[in-house]
Amino acid sequence: MQTTMSLQNEISAPAQLTSPSGPPTLSRNVTTTDLGRIQLQAMKNTLLKSHGRPPWYGKDGLPTSDAFVVGIAGGSASGKTHVARQIVESLGSLPSVVILSQDSFYCKHSPEQVILAHQNLVDFDHPDAIDMPLFASCLADLKGCRQTNIPIYSFSEHQRLDETKYLYGAAVIITEGILALHDPTLRDLYDLKIFVQCDSDLMLARRIRRDVKERGRTVDGVLDQYLRYVKPSYDNFVLPTSKYADIIVPGSDNAVAIDLISTHIKRQLKGRANQLRSQLAKAGPREALSWKTSPMLPAFEPWLNLVKIPDTPQLQGILTILRDRTTSREDFIFFTDRLSTLLVEKAMEFLPHVVQTVITPVEETYVGKKLEVNLCGISILRSGGPLERGLRRVVNNVPIGSLLIQSEAKTGEPLLLHLQLPICIRERHQAQQTYVFLLDAQIGTAASAFMAIRVLLDHGVPEDHIIFVTFLVAKHGGIVMLRKAFPQVTIVCSAVDNDLSERWLECVDVEGETSTDPSSHTEAKEGRKVWVVEPGMGHIGEFFYIHMNGVGTYHY
Amino acid sequence: MVHEASLSSQATPASLPPSVVTLPQTAQLEALYTIIRDKNTSRGDFLFYSDRIIRLLVEEGLNHLPVVPKTVETPTGAIYEGVGFEGKICGVSILRAGEAMEAGLREVCRSVRIGKILIQRDEETAQPKLFYSKFPPDIASRYVLLLDPMLATGGSAMKAVEVLMEHGVPEERIVFINLIASPEGLHTFCTRYPALRVITGWIDKGLNEKAYIVPGLGDFGERRYCV
Repeated sequence: MQTTMSLQNEISAPAQLTSPSGPPTLSRNVTTTDLGRIQLQAMKNTLLKSHGRPPWYGKDGLPTSDAFVVGIAGGSASGKTHVARQIVESLGSLPSVVILSQDSFYCKHSPEQVILAHQNLVDFDHPDAIDMPLFASCLADLKGCRQTNIPIYSFSEHQRLDETKYLYGAAVIITEGILALHDPTLRDLYDLKIFVQCDSDLMLARRIRRDVKERGRTVDGVLDQYLRYVKPSYDNFVLPTSKYADIIVPGSDNAVAIDLISTHIKRQLKGRANQLRSQLAKAGPREALSWKTSPMLPAFEPWLNLVKIPDTPQLQGILTILRDRTTSREDFIFFTDRLSTLLVEKAMEFLPHVVQTVITPVEETYVGKKLEVNLCGISILRSGGPLERGLRRVVNNVPIGSLLIQSEAKTGEPLLLHLQLPICIRERHQAQQTYVFLLDAQIGTAASAFMAIRVLLDHGVPEDHIIFVTFLVAKHGGIVMLRKAFPQVTIVCSAVDNDLSERWLECVDVEGETSTDPSSHTEAKEGRKVWVVEPGMGHIGEFFYIHMNGVGTYHY
Repeated sequence: MVHEASLSSQATPASLPPSVVTLPQTAQLEALYTIIRDKNTSRGDFLFYSDRIIRLLVEEGLNHLPVVPKTVETPTGAIYEGVGFEGKICGVSILRAGEAMEAGLREVCRSVRIGKILIQRDEETAQPKLFYSKFPPDIASRYVLLLDPMLATGGSAMKAVEVLMEHGVPEERIVFINLIASPEGLHTFCTRYPALRVITGWIDKGLNEKAYIVPGLGDFGERRYCV
């Protein structure tokens, strides 16, 4: 009963997997099985993605839609997991799916309850065994495109563990569990409710075979448990929830039903895709041009509200070296590093300070200031990397997370491929107190800046706690839209260039927007459309990491 | 929308000599000074945060060196009218505390030449006396960044300038880079060398009876190297 579902918890605590704990006397027992199965199980409560996450927000910066949530209920061994996995498979190339298991949400137990549980005297099939409010709040967060940290329940300890599992960014969420349709709050969150209907005899037969074969249990033991907990729960709590289901799916030979379901989901998701980067790049310059002539906006740059570091002779000299195509790679790295330090020092000025009184070595009292914030850096890979050393030099031991955003070769759409956020961002209540330096070499089309800021807002970082640190901003580019969407983000830069222009790039991968990675050498050979900042510095990430010359030929 | 950097509570004295440039007195800078002033700050933190200020000072100091127009072609093929750095430079540190600023200078100017100068109080005359100096042979043709973190009475800094000028460096080609200055020292120094540019991070209240800067931060060299 519910056996297969529990393993992902064991995966999270690998030590328990390997220790043979003897024949279990648990009601909700754990099936340790062959390795292939374990790997499958490990996929639960994990974000499954095929190619990256396209924009989930509009040009106003707001999420366009919630995640699509499917709830799957049904008796133990009725085949819920199978149905969930079939749905995932049938969705094909759709990105970011998570299967959320009810078993993660068993209540925290008192010491007395733990003892009872080990004696097999706790009814884990009863709705009271599940922490429904927590379940619902985690699901609501995920549905609302926010991060969540789901609990981890250990079946060997019969207790919820202290650590949690961080989840973020699913476009489709599949919740499954015998009581997935029981709680009204949960039911309200589902876009599609499925009940897997299976003949009781068949479920019992599957269960006996599974437990006897895989766990070495006696038929008597299995039956005893079945009659004591499983059957009453099914009759009283599980089966009645079938009336809430939109679809009742048979527990076997259900290929047609699954096909219908996945067709429905695909249709629902289809309308949600949007083409953001082209919107940003195209609308940027055009809107900018119209505003340039508008009497309503006398000066353009103040409206952009950029913080530019002082235009000193040294800054001009550094920029000249960085812009010069004949600059050696060694010089390029040295001067980006020097510039990044200046930028980060400037960015530090926008953090809040409190009064601090100290005694100096000459025993004088000094009333000074103290920086009192949680601060972390997040660099947008690859091109944010050149700013990291500056940040490390200025802020001792600062955590630096990363976002890998890559544009899709065909459409130019940004895709979120990977995120590794500092711990302080993963927990919402901490994220709300944290200041973030977002690092990227330039803002051209602003597509990756847009996505990165959205990710932070999704995590609860207040907009005015985000300080975007960058070398270059193209005045007539995506910055216009970025500013409109996120007016409270502080943008610190060293130069504002005039234009963003559309080019055709031949041979290797170079792009005006900085967040690309030359993993797509093959398609790049055919050439592709790129946006470059002019006069610009070329492809900063490429220069910094790979080489200066032969990065590609721009055609006008 | 705060796009004004939060300012420090401390105002720069109004009557600054015109040759003196201070760093922008931001809350952030004040926070850095608060850390290094605190007698309970660990040596590690003292190093880290004094280095940060030194880097800012050196960056500011370099801005007082000349640049010339320079036109370059960018990787996108555009023409950019920029500037190029002009003139050879060298650093000169006043031992021993001035050495602490060398790393900061090298961070910003790779492989820059660095001269050294040791000045101590002559116990007989109570005047600063030159004990040792080593300069690049062509120092007369270079811009000199003179490094000393603390400007108290100004005695040793003035002696150092005197030595540099004896080596043929004109006053106006020297930039004095300094972490904390006393108003008295600054006044004496600038009156004597009005054409010499002084970059200082913070101007303190004054000197105590032992001629220590107050509130100050104690003995910079001692805290940096020995404590």
